[in-house]
Amino acid sequence: MKILLIISWRNIWRNPKRTLVMVCAIAIGLWAALFIGGLMYGMIDQRFKTSIEQHISHIQMHHPDFLKDHAVEPGITNFQDLHNSLSKDAKIRAFSCRTLSNGMLATATLTRGIQINGIDPDEEAATTRLHERLTEGQYLNESKRNPVLVGKTLANKTRLREGSRLVLTFQNVKGELVSAAFRVAGIYQSAHTAYDEQNIYVLRSDLQEYLGAGNLIHEIALVCHDTEDIEKTHATYQETQPGLSIRTWYEISPELGFLQEFGQTMLIYILVIILMALAFGLVNTMLMSVYERIHELGMLMAVGMNKKRIFGMIMLETTFLTAIGAMAGMFSGIVTMRILHTSGLNLAAVGGDTLHEFGYPSLIYPNVENSYIFIMAVLVALTAFLTAIYPALQALKMKPVVAIRYE
Amino acid sequence: MEIIKTKNLSKIYNDNALPVKALQDVNLIFEQGEFTAIVGPSGSGKTTFLNMIGGLDKPSSGEIHIHNTEITRLSDAKLIDFRLHNIGFVFQSYNLLPVLTAKENVSFIMLLQRVPAKWMDARALELLRQVGLEDKVDVKPAKLSGGQQQRVAVARALASKPRYVLADEPTANLDTASAMNLLDIMSRLNREEKATFIFSTHDQRVIDRARRVITLVDGKVAEDLKVKN
Repeated sequence: MKILLIISWRNIWRNPKRTLVMVCAIAIGLWAALFIGGLMYGMIDQRFKTSIEQHISHIQMHHPDFLKDHAVEPGITNFQDLHNSLSKDAKIRAFSCRTLSNGMLATATLTRGIQINGIDPDEEAATTRLHERLTEGQYLNESKRNPVLVGKTLANKTRLREGSRLVLTFQNVKGELVSAAFRVAGIYQSAHTAYDEQNIYVLRSDLQEYLGAGNLIHEIALVCHDTEDIEKTHATYQETQPGLSIRTWYEISPELGFLQEFGQTMLIYILVIILMALAFGLVNTMLMSVYERIHELGMLMAVGMNKKRIFGMIMLETTFLTAIGAMAGMFSGIVTMRILHTSGLNLAAVGGDTLHEFGYPSLIYPNVENSYIFIMAVLVALTAFLTAIYPALQALKMKPVVAIRYE
Repeated sequence: MEIIKTKNLSKIYNDNALPVKALQDVNLIFEQGEFTAIVGPSGSGKTTFLNMIGGLDKPSSGEIHIHNTEITRLSDAKLIDFRLHNIGFVFQSYNLLPVLTAKENVSFIMLLQRVPAKWMDARALELLRQVGLEDKVDVKPAKLSGGQQQRVAVARALASKPRYVLADEPTANLDTASAMNLLDIMSRLNREEKATFIFSTHDQRVIDRARRVITLVDGKVAEDLKVKN
C-alpha cells in the first residue's frame, strides 16, 4: 500500500501544470459552491431572523374571529389574566400586546390604506426592538400628543418627515368612522420595504381611546428565550387558552419554513451541478494520464503488478488530485465565509433596494452550516470515487503484451 | 536443471484476413543458468516466443512448462502472480518508473512480493552495487544515461530472484561502450548469481557473448547452437 501511495502521489506531479489546472478548477468550484452557499444561507437566515425578530415573533395570539375579518371586536378575552400568566412565564423573554386597526392615512398630498399598530413602547421595544430601527426622530413616548412612527418607504412616498402631521381614519367599536390627527415622532426602517409601507405605530392608549373600547387587545406577540421552547410554550397556551387562536411563526408565515427548506435543497442542487462539471474535468484529466502511460502500465502488469493494484493506483491518483483541490477550495471558502460573516457583504450597490422589497437586508452576513460542509465533503469524496472508476477500468482493459509495444 | 520446456508451441495471429503463423511447433528446453540468445530476422517470431515463455501472451496451441507449472492453463490473475515470482524482464526501452529513484525501482518488485523491508533495502543496494550504480541509488531515471537505466532495469529484473530473466533487445538503444558494459554485468550475474538469461536480439555483440544461440526463421527453430566461449 505504501508504494502505491508513493507512486500515485508522485504520478500526479509528473505534469505539474495539468495537475495545478485541475486542482485550481476543483478549488475554485468548491470555493464558489461555499460562497454561493454561504450567501444564500446568510440571506435566508437573515430574512428568517428579521421576519421573526422584527415582525412575526415566535408565537402570536388572537381571538379566532379577529383573524377572519380584522374587525374592531372581538379582542382577546381574559386579557388581564393572560397578561399575568405571560409575565410570570420563565420561558418567555418578552411579549407585546397590540391593538390593531385597518384605516386610512391622509397627508396633504396622499391618502392610502395602512395598518395601525397600537403598542406599548416598552413592550414593543423588548419584543421586536422597534426602537433600534429608527432612522429619524424619536421613539414613541407619552410626553407628546398622538405621536406616530411611520416606515421609511411610506415616509418617502408621502413626503412625511419628523414633525409632519397626518390624519388617520378608522372605525371605532360602534362602527363609526373616526378621524384623528397624529404627528410623526420618528421614522423607522425594517428589512422589509413592503412591511414598512403598510404599517405605522401609535401609542396603544391613543388608539384604544379613539376606538372607544377600553383595554381592547387584538394581538399578543411573544418571543421565547430559546427557540426550542416555542413548541412547549405553544402547547401550554393552547391548552390553557382554548378560546384563542395561538399560532407559531411557521403557522403564521409558512413561506419562511419553505424558504429555508427550498434554500437548502437549492444549495445541494447547485453543489451537485458544480461537482458534475468538475467530474467531467477529472475524468478527462485522468483518462489523459492513463492513455499517456499505456506503455508504463503494460510494463507494470508485465512485471507482476496485479489488476487490483493498478486499479488502486489510478483511484489513489484521482483521490489525491481531488483531495488537494477540495482541501484548498474548502479551506479558502471557509476562510472567506468567516471574514465575510464578520464584516458583512454589502449588496446595496447591486440591487439592495430590490432585496429590501422582498424582505432581505442589503448587508448580508454569509454563513454556512456545518451540515452543508459535511454534505459537500461527502459529495466530493463520492465524485472522486465515481470519476476514478472509468479511467481505472480503462487501465485494466489493457493487455500487457499490447501495452508494452504501444508507442 | 530444466526450467522451461515448450511442447509444439504455435501462435497464429488472426488479426488480419490472412492468418500469420508467428510460431510453429516450437519444442525447446532451457536449463538453469543458461545465457541464451534467440536470433533471427525481423518477423521470425523472437518476440512472440519471448512473450509466450514470459507469460505475457497465450499460444494458439502447445504447452509451456515452467518448472513443472503449465502456464498456458493459468488464469490472467494467476499468471500475473506467476510472473512476479518467477520471471524477470528487461525491456528494450528500459521501462523504469520515472517517478521512482533507482533504488525504489529495484525495490518496487520486492514490495509487490511483500519482501520484508530490511532484506529489500539490502538486496536493492547490493544489486545496484553489482551493476555499478551504488552512487546513483537516489537518482531518478531521467537523470541517468540510457546504459545506466538499462543497468537499473537488469537489477530490477533480478530483484525478485526470478527463475529466469527475459531480455528483449536489451542493447538495441545503447552505444557500444554501454552495451558491452551491460553484457559484462549480465554475464557476471549469470555466473555469480546463477541467473538464467534469455535474450531476443539482432545485436552481434550479444550473440557473441551467448553460450547458446537459437535461430528462429518463419516461426520455426532453424538452428539451436551451443557455443563454448
